[in-house]
Amino acid sequence: MNVPFRPIISALFRNRAGALLVAAQVAIALAVLVNAVYMVKQRVDLINRPTGIDVDNIFVVGVQGFTKDFDYRAMLDEDISWLRSIPGVIGVTATNSVPLSGGGSSDYFKLTPDAKTGGRDALVNYFHFNEQGADALGLNVIAGRWFTREEVQPPGGTLYAVYSGPIVVTKDYADRMFPKGDALGKVIYGSSSQPLTIIGIVDHMIGSWPVGVDYPTQIMYMAFEPAGPGTRYLVRTQPGLRDQLMRKVEAELGQRNVKRAVNYVRTLKLYQDRSYLTQRNMSIYLIVVTGLLMAITSFGIFALATFNVSTRTKQVGTRRAVGARRRDVVAHFLVENWLITTVGVFVGCVLALAAGHLLSLQYDLPRVDLYYIVGGVVVMWLVGLAAAWHPSRRAARISPALATRTV
Amino acid sequence: MIGYYFRLAFASFRRTPGLGILMVLAVAVGIGVCVVTLTYYHAISGNPIWWKGDQLYSVTLDNWDPREPADPSRPTLPPDQLTYRDAEHIWQSDIPKRTTIMYRGYGIISGDGLNGPLKPAPTTTRITTGAFFPMFDVPFEYGKGWSNNADVAPEPVVVISHELNQRLFGGTDSVGRTIRWNDTPFRIIGVLAEWDPQPKYYDLTTGNFNPAEDVYLPWKWGETLSIQSDGSSNCWKIQDVQTFQGLAQSECVWVQAWVELPNFIARSRMQSFLDNYTNAERKHGRFPRPQNNRLTDVDQWLKVNKVVTNDNRVLVGLAFAFLAVCLINTVGLLLAKFLNAAPLSGLRRALGASKKQLFLQHMVEVSTIAGAGAVLGLGLGALGLAGIRELYERTATSPHPSGVASLLYLNISSYLTAVTLAVVATFICGLYPAWRVGRLQPASYLKNQ
Repeated sequence: MNVPFRPIISALFRNRAGALLVAAQVAIALAVLVNAVYMVKQRVDLINRPTGIDVDNIFVVGVQGFTKDFDYRAMLDEDISWLRSIPGVIGVTATNSVPLSGGGSSDYFKLTPDAKTGGRDALVNYFHFNEQGADALGLNVIAGRWFTREEVQPPGGTLYAVYSGPIVVTKDYADRMFPKGDALGKVIYGSSSQPLTIIGIVDHMIGSWPVGVDYPTQIMYMAFEPAGPGTRYLVRTQPGLRDQLMRKVEAELGQRNVKRAVNYVRTLKLYQDRSYLTQRNMSIYLIVVTGLLMAITSFGIFALATFNVSTRTKQVGTRRAVGARRRDVVAHFLVENWLITTVGVFVGCVLALAAGHLLSLQYDLPRVDLYYIVGGVVVMWLVGLAAAWHPSRRAARISPALATRTV
Repeated sequence: MIGYYFRLAFASFRRTPGLGILMVLAVAVGIGVCVVTLTYYHAISGNPIWWKGDQLYSVTLDNWDPREPADPSRPTLPPDQLTYRDAEHIWQSDIPKRTTIMYRGYGIISGDGLNGPLKPAPTTTRITTGAFFPMFDVPFEYGKGWSNNADVAPEPVVVISHELNQRLFGGTDSVGRTIRWNDTPFRIIGVLAEWDPQPKYYDLTTGNFNPAEDVYLPWKWGETLSIQSDGSSNCWKIQDVQTFQGLAQSECVWVQAWVELPNFIARSRMQSFLDNYTNAERKHGRFPRPQNNRLTDVDQWLKVNKVVTNDNRVLVGLAFAFLAVCLINTVGLLLAKFLNAAPLSGLRRALGASKKQLFLQHMVEVSTIAGAGAVLGLGLGALGLAGIRELYERTATSPHPSGVASLLYLNISSYLTAVTLAVVATFICGLYPAWRVGRLQPASYLKNQ
């Protein structure tokens, strides 16, 4: 199709202000769109990282002894064996902290007993689990083995109790300490120089802090009952049974021992959702506002096109009368609109890069990828075409007779 | 004359109601998004005790590892909490008007309620000196707090929150009743009125927007009952921390300390008290890092602890970009509308209306649109805030509503935002179109009639 640019441009200049206003909207919309989509993408990736845990089939039970004659160890044994006896339960472990919850313990560990700790880079997130720890989380042990019942040590006096004995670590942590990949069987040392022997390696897991630390997947498991008088149990059920078994535990566990309170029975998913809450809310907010922005912008394009068509009815009629076909009229308005959008898109690219640069400088956010800008440009062109489509079709329906009527 | 302009504006709206509604909507959506964002931002960036902002100071001392700072990403800062022993020493000073040292614990409440035994239930607990209540202006519904003596030789007294009093005793005056905290009896001497400062400036270690605790116990009960911290605690030195005594003597930090210093003199005296103390301790091998003792007021404390995140600032920028697009949109629509109605304006000019009058008339029309947009925008803002509260509440585990969500209602600043933005919108949107219409030559339009 042969598009006559001259008349389009001269028509454009008849309503400069309107065209400039629409171009400005397109520019700002593009800058926001590109950066918002990029920020959402980063958050979605963060939230959707594999956890290594069977999150959907696990629930957490919090218990707390409170009477003077309370026997913590007896409670642990009774509760754990009762929970394990429930049909549909795959594994139960007591734990010092809830994975993915945003709260947990970390400590320094070193390669030689007398090293002056290796600084923060040796900091690792640790868990006190029993012999069913791997089953209770659905962890995948890829080398060596998990703990046996006999290896699990009785609880210490406080959460800082010193542990010495066999440990299992995640592959990420093993690789950090032993980059040659020969971690299995090696001994590392705790902050009191106590020896710990690596007997197994877990494929992958996100630990206590899904956000906010730089070592979320470097984890150590100790065969240790957590310190009392309160603790949490992680209970993993067969798929689909979680909610049903949660209700049973909530109804029955408390009565089995009145010297302690059952503080809560919650899904592990709740903890995960809570850890990602601000990330998720920010994403939703960005998506809603960007969506509204695109709607407002496409509406602005639509309004300008409609206005242009309605003020040029006579001119269109004249052009039709002297031989222009309907598709020439459609093309005229679409191209006119495309030119306006394109001006906006060019300014928008500059704005998007500037905004992205500002964000990365001021707020330590990574620079926006160029793909996103290319994608944004295509989207804005399509939105512009779609918004101008209906007014252009209306223009094409203007009858050539109109021109003769009012002359 | 202004009344007449309003009538004209209304007539103009009736000529093209669709366009009018769209303009009002564009302004409304823009103002709505700004109201939501700014209300949220205002809520999280507020100082909940601004009236005492220059008298309350958080105390921090750098007792950390000689080899590395407490927070390697911000090496100039001391740890955000104190050791038990340092906190107790600060408590001994008579320089501050009041001193609060405290930490968060966790206990099970049992005993007898109004109708028989209570179901043992976990409660968040603050182990604190009695100065907490007058210092942070905590309001009481019934009774009062405890005196200094009750902290030293700990008396079995307790203050409970409004919410806990609702739960246990249906909101009746429960002063004088006894409840058991981890099976130890305590006499209730005070019930707080509803009180939940957000952000929880006096202890940010368990989350900036955590709810206030339900139970308050006198300080020395911590030692008597060996109550360990349920909040954050950090250690760097290898020490025996297997018992409460061990923890209390260790270099682990887990206690918050605040002092009330009414004037500059008290403040500088307190600073030298701290510096002298750490210098003296250095002789015993403590405080291996350079001197870094800080008194931080509430505003600064909220900044240092990054209560307002970068995300929050990005959202404010986004809201204004959004408003800009909405307003540009409205300018375009107004221009179209005014130019379409130019023959009418030409007629009015021909009949003697001055350029100024025409300009004023169109500005009145624009301000009507912006005003309607602001009202509708406030409505949309209320809806948006309800939506955000819903997002937060879906993962709430606390029995009483709290946290950021409790702040997300339209307030005086939201209304001010809407009014200001409406005025701004009127000028931004109206000036150019109204000016253009006033400049038109009346003759060219009269010809067409």
